[in-house]
Amino acid sequence: MKEFGPLIHSFWYLLRGAGMTVLMATSAVVPATILGILLALLQVFRGHLVQSIILGYLFLVRGIPLLVLLTFVYYLMPLTGVDLPPFWGVVLVISLYYAAFISEVFRAGILSLPQAQWDAARSLGMTRGLLLQIVVLPQALRLAAPPYVSLCVSLIKATSLVSIVGLWELTMASREVVERTLAPFQIFIGAAAIYFAICYTLALYGRHLERRVLLGH
Amino acid sequence: MLDIVGLHKRFGAVEVLRNVSFAVSPGEVVVVIGPSGSGKTTLLRCINLLEEYERGTITVDGEPIGYRIDGNSGRRVRMSEREIARARERIGMVFQSFNLFPHMNVLQNIVAAPVRVKRIERRQAETRACELLAMVGLSDKAAEYPIRLSGGQQQRVAIARALAMDPKIMLFDEVTSALDPELVGEVLAAMQRLASDGMTMVVVTHEMSFARDIADRIVFMDGGVVVEAGRPDQLLFAPQTERVRAFLKRYNDRYRI
Amino acid sequence: MPFDPHFIARLIPALLEGAEVTVELATLTMAICLVWGLLVALAQGMRGPLGWIAGSYIQLVRNTPLLIQLYLVYFGFSMAGFGLSGFASGLLALCAQNGGYVAEIYRGGLQSVSIRQFEAGRALGMGRWTLYSTVILPQVVARVIPPLTNQSIAIIKDTSQVAAIAVMEIMKISEVWVETSANTYDVFLGAALIYLALTSIAGLVGKLAERRLAFAQ
Repeated sequence: MKEFGPLIHSFWYLLRGAGMTVLMATSAVVPATILGILLALLQVFRGHLVQSIILGYLFLVRGIPLLVLLTFVYYLMPLTGVDLPPFWGVVLVISLYYAAFISEVFRAGILSLPQAQWDAARSLGMTRGLLLQIVVLPQALRLAAPPYVSLCVSLIKATSLVSIVGLWELTMASREVVERTLAPFQIFIGAAAIYFAICYTLALYGRHLERRVLLGH
Repeated sequence: MLDIVGLHKRFGAVEVLRNVSFAVSPGEVVVVIGPSGSGKTTLLRCINLLEEYERGTITVDGEPIGYRIDGNSGRRVRMSEREIARARERIGMVFQSFNLFPHMNVLQNIVAAPVRVKRIERRQAETRACELLAMVGLSDKAAEYPIRLSGGQQQRVAIARALAMDPKIMLFDEVTSALDPELVGEVLAAMQRLASDGMTMVVVTHEMSFARDIADRIVFMDGGVVVEAGRPDQLLFAPQTERVRAFLKRYNDRYRI
Repeated sequence: MPFDPHFIARLIPALLEGAEVTVELATLTMAICLVWGLLVALAQGMRGPLGWIAGSYIQLVRNTPLLIQLYLVYFGFSMAGFGLSGFASGLLALCAQNGGYVAEIYRGGLQSVSIRQFEAGRALGMGRWTLYSTVILPQVVARVIPPLTNQSIAIIKDTSQVAAIAVMEIMKISEVWVETSANTYDVFLGAALIYLALTSIAGLVGKLAERRLAFAQ
């Protein structure tokens, strides 16, 4: 147990893996957030057909494990002839997956805003677009920020799954090192520590946001 | 200034407004009183189309709002969102729960609509905002956030915010009902000042003494209809109808008008 | 390739066998976590070192990926001498992680019961035990059921990750079948449908439980 030598020697390699993890997560979170906000707005404002489609999409994403979706796309990609680099393939799947959860968080934020805010904005002559922009969304986004940050943490952890379909990031890097050094305990603890450093920092930021929301903007 | 003709509204199976009609002249202050559920708040919210209604027309300053009668078919046609928004600019409304935007400070609350809706230049809007704040007695609060203000202060800011759009008519929906008693006076004073400046106002309130002081005309509603209307000294002290008499008696017993 | 009835006829029993393992794993995890999570939540509420340990434990499992925890238990423990089977490792890791989440759910449920309930009970002269059992606990139970239902759905989806340590649950069996046949579509369609069925059932059970137990609201 005292022999953390293997970990220290490979630490730099693991850190590079972590860099890839962060890159992957960031690449996925941006489209996921944009799509999530769009879906939330569509759900709140559009009619039954759009809502049914979105509900169907949510049902699928919430009921099927991400790993199944990732593996499915991994095996399917070559068959459809679409020439997408694997990195972007998994980023796409992760984005679409998390967009659903993010949309639920933003939808809750929008709906939890008192009707009175809408009334006041409309009584001042604001059109729906304007009132969304300066009254509803700023408040809804602030309300949604803490659970959104939780989802971001979840997304970072989810990138570990791409190692199962053969993509390289922190988890895959740690597996490679373990195979080489046969010191799984130390190496995986090292990987866990790196993940922890990234995720816990983000989680602390989320709790800071939560406190600000509770204090009333 | 305001002309309501034949307003009908139902919530599901319940008729909350039944053939309500009345007119308000420019500069007139009309106070609407009545028991809970009489439809007075709904009436107010119909004026700037925060509530939909099935039948009737409402005209503000000669222009219809919400629905217009199609010249050819004679049927009523809903105006477009943009037309309705434009019409709302001419109507100012102050709500029972203040409804200030919590993520903006006082000054931003007041200039948001003039700058973004009417495209008034920001500096001009801010100058006007400071004038309005002075008028309601809150010049020193321009940089504060609503959460740090008392209810009465928030309500006065809400009045200033509505006035910043330069409306032709102001609607007040039970604006003092949610306030602690000692804060009511400052809001009523601001409203009194507005009235003497000649603003056309429709006020829904429970405050009978205020109604008597400020109103040019009092309208009593019950069960979705206008039961009686008249000058304050007439209606409050020599009501014609039994329902008004009963309402006032109950009120007197509790509050000693 | 897709929708080959003979293939499907052979596929379904295999997937159902995997489903058995999935269900076993998920139910055991949920059952253990209900108790373990409660213990952790209680420990967290206490002052002193125990509270701190419980709190750190929760942060640790929430901010590291399940996959790393799985590898740590499976490979790490076997190196250290007490090797666990894939199933046992999976169970241990799943309980470790979800125990943390369940503890947070319990804590949230308790906190969300208004302080006024405590005051009202005390004012009526209730002793601590009566107060908790007749006033507080029923309300906590009501509030805790929806998030626990969500957590059970998450657990079902998480079981897919134990495929990485060669447990023959749905995901692993799907993988095997995809690699030995050309029929990617049908395999994953089958797997997806089974997961959807399982998560939907879990959701329905949760709704039922809510209705039966949540009359306190």
